[in-house]
Amino acid sequence: MIEIIHPGIMSIVVDGGRHGYREVGIPTSSALDLYALSVLNHLLGNKCNAPAIEAFGEKFSLRFGKDVCCAITGARMRASLEGRPLRSWMSFEARAGETLTVDEVMEGFRYYLGFSGTPVLEKVIGSYTTNLECRFGGYRGRALQKGDRINFEGTRIAAVQPIPEEFIPRMMPPHTLRVVEGPENDYFTDESLKEFLGGKGRTVFTVSTKLNRTGIRLDGKPLAFRADVEESIISEGLLPGSIQVPGDGLPIIQLHERTLGGYARPVLIAKVDHDLLAHLKPGDSVMFEMIGMEEAERLFDRKMEIAASIKN
Amino acid sequence: MKISRYGEEAIRILFGDKIDLEIHDKVRRYYFFLKSLQLEEITDIIPSFRSCLIIFDRRKTSYEALRASLQDKEFLIAHIEIPEPETHDVPVEYGGESGFDIDFVASHTGLSEDKIIEVHTSVTYKVFAVGFLPGFPYLGILDQRLYVPRLETPRLKVPEGSVGLAQLQTGIYPFESPAGWRIIGRTNKKLFDYSEEPYSIFQIGDEVRFIRA
Repeated sequence: MIEIIHPGIMSIVVDGGRHGYREVGIPTSSALDLYALSVLNHLLGNKCNAPAIEAFGEKFSLRFGKDVCCAITGARMRASLEGRPLRSWMSFEARAGETLTVDEVMEGFRYYLGFSGTPVLEKVIGSYTTNLECRFGGYRGRALQKGDRINFEGTRIAAVQPIPEEFIPRMMPPHTLRVVEGPENDYFTDESLKEFLGGKGRTVFTVSTKLNRTGIRLDGKPLAFRADVEESIISEGLLPGSIQVPGDGLPIIQLHERTLGGYARPVLIAKVDHDLLAHLKPGDSVMFEMIGMEEAERLFDRKMEIAASIKN
Repeated sequence: MKISRYGEEAIRILFGDKIDLEIHDKVRRYYFFLKSLQLEEITDIIPSFRSCLIIFDRRKTSYEALRASLQDKEFLIAHIEIPEPETHDVPVEYGGESGFDIDFVASHTGLSEDKIIEVHTSVTYKVFAVGFLPGFPYLGILDQRLYVPRLETPRLKVPEGSVGLAQLQTGIYPFESPAGWRIIGRTNKKLFDYSEEPYSIFQIGDEVRFIRA
């Protein structure tokens, strides 16, 4: 059992996501950094998409009700267990009665805490993840609060191990996000696309404060629509990582909470960089770099190979 | 049919370039064709007004292979069984606190509140797509006389069951949520239940009639 003493700024239960029901508008609501989730579960001996707590902000704190193996991945941080220093990207043993506290987040934004075993929570539509907006899944469909308790089944003590440095991604701004062409790439003027994606002199965007699990709004030089197109499209299927551009020309990076959209999509973030989206925070600088589809596939496959090699 | 790639793991098929019942019927047939194939490499399908988005697992197939395999099986579209659409009656309390934008709609369209309700309830609508929020039906085609623009800045919250208008569409919010549509009424009909399949009472192609409560 664990008991939340302080939820940080926000913490929720997530997993690999809700799949197969986007046809009726049910989004995946998955963990935003799936690489961090899979490494976390590897450290704990759980299945790679097993549930964990996704949190951001300092002061997060919880108390252990029984001996368990715990791990933290995602943002780089300093944490402590009863005053003993810990860092992220490692697993450790916690004893009943001990308290874990997140002291300082140094790099990145969201972090993941997991426990060996399965939480005693209700699966909703095949998943433990929280749909915050519609209030289902996770812990009673809401963010965790002080005093919430989660029990675990099948807990065990796993081997204590750190993840080698070369497997820990960098999350320091400025972020360069690689993108592939989106369906409405030709809705924008050539000049505007060149500024958006070009090498030298390209637009540097800033992550605005309008940021949540649904999307990230960027500030910067607006994209210019061509004169002969309508600014909105007939609503249609939307993929996570798509960049949508509403009438004001400022890009919105869509995350995992929407299945349909009605704004033009000049590009979408290559899958290899989706995990980094979890770590964009207000004020960070962001640039885009266009790559081809084959390269996007190759980069993602390579990332998966690296992730798999951690286990060997 | 225009087939293209969208991201590493989706095929986007366009069946036309406007909101139209015939085009939508092609989308729906194609959606049921995809479902009938029961391909394990397809993880999600998002049918909408004029397109079908097919999301696939790249560990099990590739864009090229899946595209070719779907084209090989296309002849089956003419032979598959398409379920009959269901018809749903939705009782609505129009105007007042439930339909707080009805005055705006009246002044924008020049119609009286009664006339708005009469026009809104006189059409049997088609569910063109379900999404944005779980179970949210995009309903068309709205009578031209009720055309209103979306809000420039969406409201942060409208209550569950709110019935809205935007351009030539009408829809119902299954959850309390942010909303950019003009709200003319509210229903107490439960639209989404996460504890029971198929979760959403509305499926693509279903028909909806609004009734003054």
